[in-house]
Amino acid sequence: MEYPEKLAQIVSLFESLPAPEKRESLISYASAAGKNAPREGESFDLEDVRKDEECTDTVGVFLKISSTRACEFRVTLGPQVQTLTKAMTSILCKGLAGCTPEQVLEIPADFVPKIVGADLVRQRSQTVYYILTRMKGITRVWLNRQRAALH
Amino acid sequence: MIDKNYAQPDALVTTQWVSEHLSDSGVRLVESNEDYLLYDTGHIQGAVHIDWRADLQDQTIRDYVSPKQFAELCERHGISNDTTVVFYGDKSNWWACYALWTFRLFGHEKVKIMDGGRDKWVGENRHLTRAVPHFVRGRYTPAAERRDSEIRAFYDQTLAHSRAGQALIDVRSPGEFRGEITHMPEYPQEGVLRGGHIPGAASVPWKMAVNEDGTFKSTAELRAIYEEEAGLMRGQDVIAYCRIGERSSHTWFVLTYLLGYQNVRNYDGSWTEWGNRVGAPIERG
Repeated sequence: MEYPEKLAQIVSLFESLPAPEKRESLISYASAAGKNAPREGESFDLEDVRKDEECTDTVGVFLKISSTRACEFRVTLGPQVQTLTKAMTSILCKGLAGCTPEQVLEIPADFVPKIVGADLVRQRSQTVYYILTRMKGITRVWLNRQRAALH
Repeated sequence: MIDKNYAQPDALVTTQWVSEHLSDSGVRLVESNEDYLLYDTGHIQGAVHIDWRADLQDQTIRDYVSPKQFAELCERHGISNDTTVVFYGDKSNWWACYALWTFRLFGHEKVKIMDGGRDKWVGENRHLTRAVPHFVRGRYTPAAERRDSEIRAFYDQTLAHSRAGQALIDVRSPGEFRGEITHMPEYPQEGVLRGGHIPGAASVPWKMAVNEDGTFKSTAELRAIYEEEAGLMRGQDVIAYCRIGERSSHTWFVLTYLLGYQNVRNYDGSWTEWGNRVGAPIERG
């Protein structure tokens, strides 16, 4: 399956980078993670704020879906959240913006090693997939509610 | 040096001591974290990054690198056999203690921990830099062999230890000890098939050894925890374990350097080996 266009661009960029620059880019994305928090006055279709056993601190995922079924994600991160998780937050908020809920659910996770590198996935697998899982989770809940409302 | 009546007070240094030795050519700072990219976001000036998994462990077999590979790692970071290595990191120095234990495994003598770790340094608003230091290559003569027999325990030894009723300390969370969960709170399940603890083990979570700010408790407080409550006695042969050996290296450091126990080993196979091993005896509750 092809990745959504914005995500594909990010994947393509990371794949072209040598390891040191890939790491620098991850740091850069991580340092911008705070910008993905909900903005003043924004409202959402679904909010999922929790601290679960898969992450070291509280993570809030906020989903807004437009009338054209375009998804927009906002994410809040507790201070103990790890750097890789922060980086993936920025990457996914940007890369999945505008996708339909169905597209979000169908995105294969194989883009993750292409971005962070196979070594990092092997060494820290618990941190790199977490945000994608949470985003898919909230999207699935939204879709299930939609389908239930239609029946 | 920190004066809390520790057995080896030189093994622990304050953030202030570190800030006064940033330019000391005989001292090398090593940051070791759980958060793989944390060092890259900023670290203490002159600190090098050593990762417990990428640098210290063999990438194929579940074991450590060879003495020759370890010597190469040290030389690359400007560490020689007589360099004083000061470790610090996130998570109240879990991984720093793990790195220190591994350095001891290869016979490196001059090792210290920065009390309170990275969080204390940051909390005191001390300077961090993103500049990666480059040092003149060190000269490191590899040890003839690792000191596995002195400070490391393997499955068979731990089983014999358990059967003999000798001192075993389980440093995981109470829920892991009781067998209610197979991973620590806030962490994913990572492939352990059975929950519980090694028969005869006493539960002393690693965190009991540290204060809120991540610094180690005083000798009197530590003795109350490990001796009065858990029943350890100096002179005993002790094995500590956790899930993969990192939290137990923290306790190994406490027992060895702060309380002065002579015979403490870290069972680094820990619960990810024991809980998966066919036929390994397990207690629950």
